[in-house]
Amino acid sequence: MLVLGIETSTPQASVAIGSEQGVVASAMVSRGANYNEFLLPAIRFCLEESRLGYRNLGAVAVSLGPGLFSGMRVGVATAKAIAQTLSLPMVGMASLDLVAYEVRYSAKTICAVLDARRNEVFHAFYRSSPGGIQRMTEYRVEKPGQLAIGIASRPEEVLLVGNGSLLYRDMFEELGSVCEVGTMSHAFPNARSLVELSLPRLFREDFDSPYDLKPLYLRHSARRIQWERIRTERSA
Amino acid sequence: MNDVPRDPMGRPLTEPTAPSLADDAVLTQPTTAVKDLPIEEWDESTLVLGIETSCDETSAAVVKGGREILSNVIISQGDLHGEYGGIVPEVAARAHVEALTPVIGEALLRADATFWDLDAVAATLGPGLIGSLLVGVAEAKSIAAVLEVPFVGVNHLEAHLYSNLLTHPEAKFPALALVISGGHTLIVNALSDGDYDIVGTTIDDAAGEAFDKVARFLGLDYPGGPEIDRLSLLGNPEAVKFPRAMATESGFDVSYSGLKTAVINHVRKLETAGEAVVVEDIAASFQQAVVDIQVAKTMAAVEYVEAERVFLCGGVAANSGLRQGLGDACAARGISMTVPPMELCTDNAAMVAACATAMIRRGRTTSLDAAPDPNLRLA
Ligand SMILES: [Zn+2]
Repeated sequence: MLVLGIETSTPQASVAIGSEQGVVASAMVSRGANYNEFLLPAIRFCLEESRLGYRNLGAVAVSLGPGLFSGMRVGVATAKAIAQTLSLPMVGMASLDLVAYEVRYSAKTICAVLDARRNEVFHAFYRSSPGGIQRMTEYRVEKPGQLAIGIASRPEEVLLVGNGSLLYRDMFEELGSVCEVGTMSHAFPNARSLVELSLPRLFREDFDSPYDLKPLYLRHSARRIQWERIRTERSA
Repeated sequence: MNDVPRDPMGRPLTEPTAPSLADDAVLTQPTTAVKDLPIEEWDESTLVLGIETSCDETSAAVVKGGREILSNVIISQGDLHGEYGGIVPEVAARAHVEALTPVIGEALLRADATFWDLDAVAATLGPGLIGSLLVGVAEAKSIAAVLEVPFVGVNHLEAHLYSNLLTHPEAKFPALALVISGGHTLIVNALSDGDYDIVGTTIDDAAGEAFDKVARFLGLDYPGGPEIDRLSLLGNPEAVKFPRAMATESGFDVSYSGLKTAVINHVRKLETAGEAVVVEDIAASFQQAVVDIQVAKTMAAVEYVEAERVFLCGGVAANSGLRQGLGDACAARGISMTVPPMELCTDNAAMVAACATAMIRRGRTTSLDAAPDPNLRLA
């Protein structure tokens, strides 16, 4: 089954096409920022270079974030439209899962950390399991300092990956040798991992419907937060 | 088109998908039949899917030959924004992501068409809220890419002009158009398809914005425009003589900021004096002032460009006072005024598809790397 993977939830956007036999084409850009300009030409490039057409696709996988709101929306909207037009099954995966999957051979506990801006990070903890990874915590958004306290309270050694761990490296390295910060090559979720990770779910027919798939925001809009604060103050 | 196979959810089934990469045949098989219609073949049977997500309405429509609406599905987010008393861009963008896929499915279903019947896909490119525009543009471009048909990025304001052409067979350019909504107040001299001159605008608030602000001040439900219109019918438009401020005496620009302030000051004065505030009278008097200002400026522009036809369009074109006032003024001058039915005054995708059809006939399509422009200009 040929899967089209779309990952646009961080400043690095990528698309990939692959099957159970491996990725046949991929395209990535880290300085484009405008996913609306990148995405369809990139998909076209991957299809043309591998002598395929949209009708050869068997499924669409998309990263749901957490990440940058606009990027997530463009990716999810594009994936939904392609799946809807071709009546293809689709699956949505979390960006943090993709980041953790990259370092799945580590014996340590894995913590995927992505920059959430406004001095916060998105994160989740994983342990490697046969053939993949197993998530142990909820997806969270927190101050990096809070995350550092959480890591310090754990008995085991932790490997941090993702651009959030690089951005706040100093804070995490202060924790000493229990905490290792991963390399730049694993800083961002990518569409190749997405294709690979989506296959087991596709084979299990554990599909998401394009009719109700939505990004993983983990945050309310700024206006909603403000509004709820006002309401609590009023009722207090 | 009647015997389109459907899946259990009632969605039209499309072409079967290909086997896995392991199948060598995949690599030699032609991908899709390219639907590259010469422009002269854009006749009465061409089908265009339009998508509109510039503000707080999620809409998709199928229009045949640029004139016949086969479907026009609109989901309004009014309820979502009501508690904030105005549109919250992030809330709007999130709602579009969730609503658009079912809205497109429903538009095709009602049109009794499949994706593969479409000859082009269009979406609003701007002006509007960037986060909202992104969703519609991304989906429209993706559908067009898969089908290998042209994508057309449409100017939202130009699309409003086509809401008149779409619903009135006799309507045609040249015309003087009043595009009036929560975001815009424009007097446009529309000479022909794609050739527009803006002759007047607002120097501060859009007309719909003034309606919403006054409504909020009066404690009315959001959206305030329709609420003021409803109360106006119960009140006396002569009760309070609000100023008819003309931004410039000679030009065609309007100003609504002063009028809004006058309403607020008047109500505060009544309250300080301990007098009763008759909301119906204030609503009626305010609405009458807006109508008088807008009709005066529009008719002055009609005279200036010697227009023989007036198009009224945009969300505020649903206002009964404005429809009546501008209609009477045009009748008195012996020229025709057209205004679309309510569901085509508010933001909708049928007008986007109609506008796109006219653009394709002029050879205008949009590249798949196009990005939306929140500040896109009409002229
Ligand atoms: Zn509009």
